[in-house]
Amino acid sequence: MSDMFIFMAQVYRELQPFVAHPEGGGHGVLEMPSGTGKTISLLSLIVAYQRAFPLEVTKLIYCSRTVPEIEKVVEELRKLMEFYSKQTRESNNFLALALSSRRNLCIHPEVSSLRFGKEVDGKCHSLTASYIRAQHHSNPSFPVCQFYEEFDAVGRQVPLPAGIYNLDDLKDFGRRKGWCPYYLARYSILHANIVVYSYHYLLDPKIADLVSKELAKKSVVVFDEAHNIDNVCIDSMSVNITRRTLDHCQNNVDTLHNTIHKIKETDAAKLKEEYRRLVEGLKEANVARETDVYLSNPVLPDEILQEAVPGTIRTAEHFVGFLRRFLEYLKSRLRVQHVIQESAPQFLKDIYDKVCIDRKPLRFCAERLQSLLRTLEITDIADFSAATLISNFATLVSTYSQGFTIIIEPFEDRTPTIANPVLHFSCMDPSIAIKPVFQRFQSVIITSGTLSPLDIYPRILDFHPVTMASFTMTLARTCLCPLIVGRGNDQVALSSKFETREDFAVIRNYGNLLMEMSAIVPDGIVAFFTSYVYMENIVASWYEQGILENIQRNKLIFIETQDAAETSMALEKYQEACENGRGAILLSVARGKVSEGIDFVHHFGRAVIMFGVPYVYTQSRILKARLEYLRDQFQIRENDFLTFDAMRHAAQCVGRAIRGKTDYGLMIFADKRYARADKRGKLPRWIQEHITDGSLNLTVDEAVQLSKHFLRQMAQPFRQEDQLGLSLLTLEQLESEEMLQKIAQVAHQT
Amino acid sequence: MASLSEEVLLVVKKVRQRKQDGTLYLMAERIAWGPEGKDRFTVSHLYADIRCQKISPDGKAKVQLQLVLHSGESTTFHFANESTALKDREAAKELLQQLLPKFKKKANKELEEKNRMLQEDPVLFQLYKDLVVSQVISAEEFWANRLGGVTNTDPAQYKYKQEVGISGAFLADIRPQTDGCNGLRYNLTADIIESIFRTYPAVKQKYNENVPHNLTEKEFWTRFFQSHYFHRDRINTGTQDIFSECAKQDEKGLKSMVVQGVKNPLVDLLSLEDKTLDEGYGVCGAQPSTSNSNRTVKESSNYAIIKRFNHHSAMVLAAGSRKGETPTDQASETSSTDGNSRDSDFFQPPVKKVKLQEEYEDLQQENRPKTVPLNLKKSDRYAHGPVPLQSQQYTTSQDIINSVNYIQHEMANYKPNLTQVLSSTVATSAISALSPGGVLMQAGAQQAINQMVPSEVQGELKHLYVAAGELLRHFWSCFPVNTPFLEEKVIKMKSNLERFQLTKLRPFQEKIQRQYLSTNLTGHLEEMLQTAYNKFHIWQTRRMMRKT
Repeated sequence: MSDMFIFMAQVYRELQPFVAHPEGGGHGVLEMPSGTGKTISLLSLIVAYQRAFPLEVTKLIYCSRTVPEIEKVVEELRKLMEFYSKQTRESNNFLALALSSRRNLCIHPEVSSLRFGKEVDGKCHSLTASYIRAQHHSNPSFPVCQFYEEFDAVGRQVPLPAGIYNLDDLKDFGRRKGWCPYYLARYSILHANIVVYSYHYLLDPKIADLVSKELAKKSVVVFDEAHNIDNVCIDSMSVNITRRTLDHCQNNVDTLHNTIHKIKETDAAKLKEEYRRLVEGLKEANVARETDVYLSNPVLPDEILQEAVPGTIRTAEHFVGFLRRFLEYLKSRLRVQHVIQESAPQFLKDIYDKVCIDRKPLRFCAERLQSLLRTLEITDIADFSAATLISNFATLVSTYSQGFTIIIEPFEDRTPTIANPVLHFSCMDPSIAIKPVFQRFQSVIITSGTLSPLDIYPRILDFHPVTMASFTMTLARTCLCPLIVGRGNDQVALSSKFETREDFAVIRNYGNLLMEMSAIVPDGIVAFFTSYVYMENIVASWYEQGILENIQRNKLIFIETQDAAETSMALEKYQEACENGRGAILLSVARGKVSEGIDFVHHFGRAVIMFGVPYVYTQSRILKARLEYLRDQFQIRENDFLTFDAMRHAAQCVGRAIRGKTDYGLMIFADKRYARADKRGKLPRWIQEHITDGSLNLTVDEAVQLSKHFLRQMAQPFRQEDQLGLSLLTLEQLESEEMLQKIAQVAHQT
Repeated sequence: MASLSEEVLLVVKKVRQRKQDGTLYLMAERIAWGPEGKDRFTVSHLYADIRCQKISPDGKAKVQLQLVLHSGESTTFHFANESTALKDREAAKELLQQLLPKFKKKANKELEEKNRMLQEDPVLFQLYKDLVVSQVISAEEFWANRLGGVTNTDPAQYKYKQEVGISGAFLADIRPQTDGCNGLRYNLTADIIESIFRTYPAVKQKYNENVPHNLTEKEFWTRFFQSHYFHRDRINTGTQDIFSECAKQDEKGLKSMVVQGVKNPLVDLLSLEDKTLDEGYGVCGAQPSTSNSNRTVKESSNYAIIKRFNHHSAMVLAAGSRKGETPTDQASETSSTDGNSRDSDFFQPPVKKVKLQEEYEDLQQENRPKTVPLNLKKSDRYAHGPVPLQSQQYTTSQDIINSVNYIQHEMANYKPNLTQVLSSTVATSAISALSPGGVLMQAGAQQAINQMVPSEVQGELKHLYVAAGELLRHFWSCFPVNTPFLEEKVIKMKSNLERFQLTKLRPFQEKIQRQYLSTNLTGHLEEMLQTAYNKFHIWQTRRMMRKT
């Protein structure tokens, strides 16, 4: 609680500048342990600002990572607003809403029964595209989505009444009115005071262009759970092309060709009309764009939209021919026998030399394809994903000369005999995708429970923060117990490093650690390995050695697999087993889906064991290229980045178990390398400060003794009174002079 | 012979016992053996008394079967019919195997029940200690009219038997042991078999299909252990294996579980991400394909192990909770078959709603004042409550003033009349009579018995009362004595009472005498006993008279 005020003081300092000078913005990086009220502090402070200076801070854009997290934020907001209306005794006219994909918002009986997001999007598109609706006009038996029709007819005139709308509330509202909740939400975010959505909507240029383009400049943007934000940026800008993609694309091009032929015979005017439009420039191509969700082009620089499409690809046949040529060129590139790495300018030069494709038409490729698909009235855009991918690649590769690399691998490293050529066009500079966000919005706050070391984020994202701070927890009792287990009982050094990976002694000792822990820790234990392959090998040898059977005497074992559905089931059973008192162990993988999105509150995770240091697979060429780029551009040494990356994932994994001050859990780092200062120093402050010198290089037995002691202490009842004055404050305590001084003091220090 | 009326399940001739030829009978409730040519059984054991049976190893010359009793004794039968000895023994063994568990359960159940009663009722336990452990009456007598009554009257209480779950490691308990000559021996117990059946219903089905028509039990389990099904890291190769179908069924079950999806949206990894990258985008892109084509053998065996562990744990978990949760399971199934349950909020599991609103219990305002749990010593007093106010005669202040004035007036005029006072001796005796211990204070002393007697003596007295009451209950329940059995019992009870008086009551009386406490404490007990004796004497004399 006291932490929350210190935290708020920090955020306040950051927001302060643009109240004084509306021109100057401020960005910030803040780390605060989860469960200490990060979300509610941010919300309440920014909402207070919005109420005080409605003209300076018009909108709050709160970005989180997963759907449940988004919904949680909205629930917190609801509580805050209830508190406001209770205190002020008047209903405020705030509009806050969550936005998610169609899959989570659709209420159309047929469409919403589909299970996968892509299917829902495709089906929705086939019912709401503008030409479909035009056809419906002439022929009413043509199916359309009545919810969208209703919304289009009346929904836009009346703004959404003020209130807090979670995803389910939106659906309810939509059902009552007969309006499509998805389009209603997308329309309403323009005038809402608070928008909560996934950070893809802001960072992925393909979606951002569509959804977030018109959001007001005077917004405050918060990226919560942002420890992986650089990877999200990079992912959204990278493209992989395989032979399969090219084959699909070939089919697409053929279809286009045939369709053009057909249309030419029946309705040549249509193509002429398109040609005329393209001459006039792309501006008009935006008409009716809202519903025609061709996943639109990656970051088009504004100047392109002002220019007209070059003459070489303006007619439909020419463009298809152009695509063919480009495709053939890519095919020839994929026929290589050895690995090739080159930059974008090199690629462009090569393509000009070989097939005489200029840079300029390539840049317009994406936009031109969308226009053509629209003209040809292609219903199922999902079918054309390959062609879209290729055209996006063309646009990207011709737009950015820096920050990207092209790697062509003729086969996978593990299977050199099987030809499986892949062209990786990978982004190495996360700042490219996030740059528009920093430029457009006056204040961007990046926050998470685990952001250490803080200084690396401004460097790789290329921005200048006003504040950077890492907060700790004020605890009435030490509810976390980090232990670094460096040795087995037989003094064998424990480590997942490459040389000792296959060592039976290490594997056995790891098994021993898990077995001992399974005997003393109540309810759930989560164990993380560094990779799937490593986990599979260890599980197999534990099975052979009979270690797993012994563990089964104490707890049930569930294991994460690469199949998300299977893992979900295992996860649910794991929770069931924790719930009914049997106790269970979940073996999981750092960087896997579980480590990123699932919380193990209270008895679902009383201990987390991190087997090894989760370094990324360093032999990948893409990673090597990125490391090189980081070194050249940002002066970040390879090793620093790798360690940073490994430690943030480790912190992320162990942080899963502690989700608040009443929670408690063991954090066991089972690798001797964690004891080194360069690793330890990169853990979040709130974990670091509980690592004592005595717990740096423990044997398994010692760790068991310490854990027993810790667990026994934690099992004692813990009441509100114990926390009062320390980690909980009453109103009087908060208003006391002493406390205010303390907050001011701490806020200035950091 | 009474036993002949029993149902005889199996007769095996030429069975030797103590070097004597004879015939072995397996009957509904007991096993018996009679020597050749004689018409009675020299050996007879109730099944309930048998702890276990042992058989001689296959290779041995003598084909024997040994019964070990709960009392520790054992009886050995030697099957002597040369041609069919083995078959005879097997038949007897099989039958016993089926019969013994039934009776064992019954015996255990009874024991358990007694144990439970003793644990739940401390008074009964004390009584048991006083009467049975000190051998005033036998255990059977003690339980004779208790057990029946309890089990008959409230079976409901007995019904809620907790289902025992399955150990997660039951397969680990069948550690194979090498038997020295290139073979493995697996130890299977009835518990493990039950665990296997409960966890893997497919195996049970196979068992029912094949045993005993196609395979013997032993063959079945041998095949089970040989199958890849048991060895999870082996990959399915042949189809002649009867368990390959089980594996397929499991696979199907697993798949259907996966397809069904999870009910808790917070753990559904598929819908966690709001927007996944389209195919072709992203850095890692070319994921190692999950199809089995380019997996190495080792990798797919590892994968199989992982899958099997997940499945095994899920099955164990399900087996543990299957009984209790059937109704809820069904409910959820119907809701999921209801069509598009995914989008309709009505079916949204309440978990989601609860979990989204994270509650910090330490931040919750405690509105209610702390309550103290009500601890009632005498609940009836609580139930009856305070007596309602009765209309009373109030004295007004004027009355009081008047009376004070009156008393003052009286006092002012008081003159001691010294000629009429008591003599000093009489006064002293009166004072002594009124002081504690005096004649007139006796009643007060009686009342204060709980202060005067130390608590352990009180406790002991209580136990004595309970024990005596129990014995007397037994005694009086014999009247009117109209059967020979009751006659016998009443005589026994009388001697029990006497023994009680001698071994329990007397020492207690001596003890309180030593502590200089009033011997009255046991007066009532003795009175009760005396009444019983009187009754007994009257009855006895009457009987004598009738006899003569």
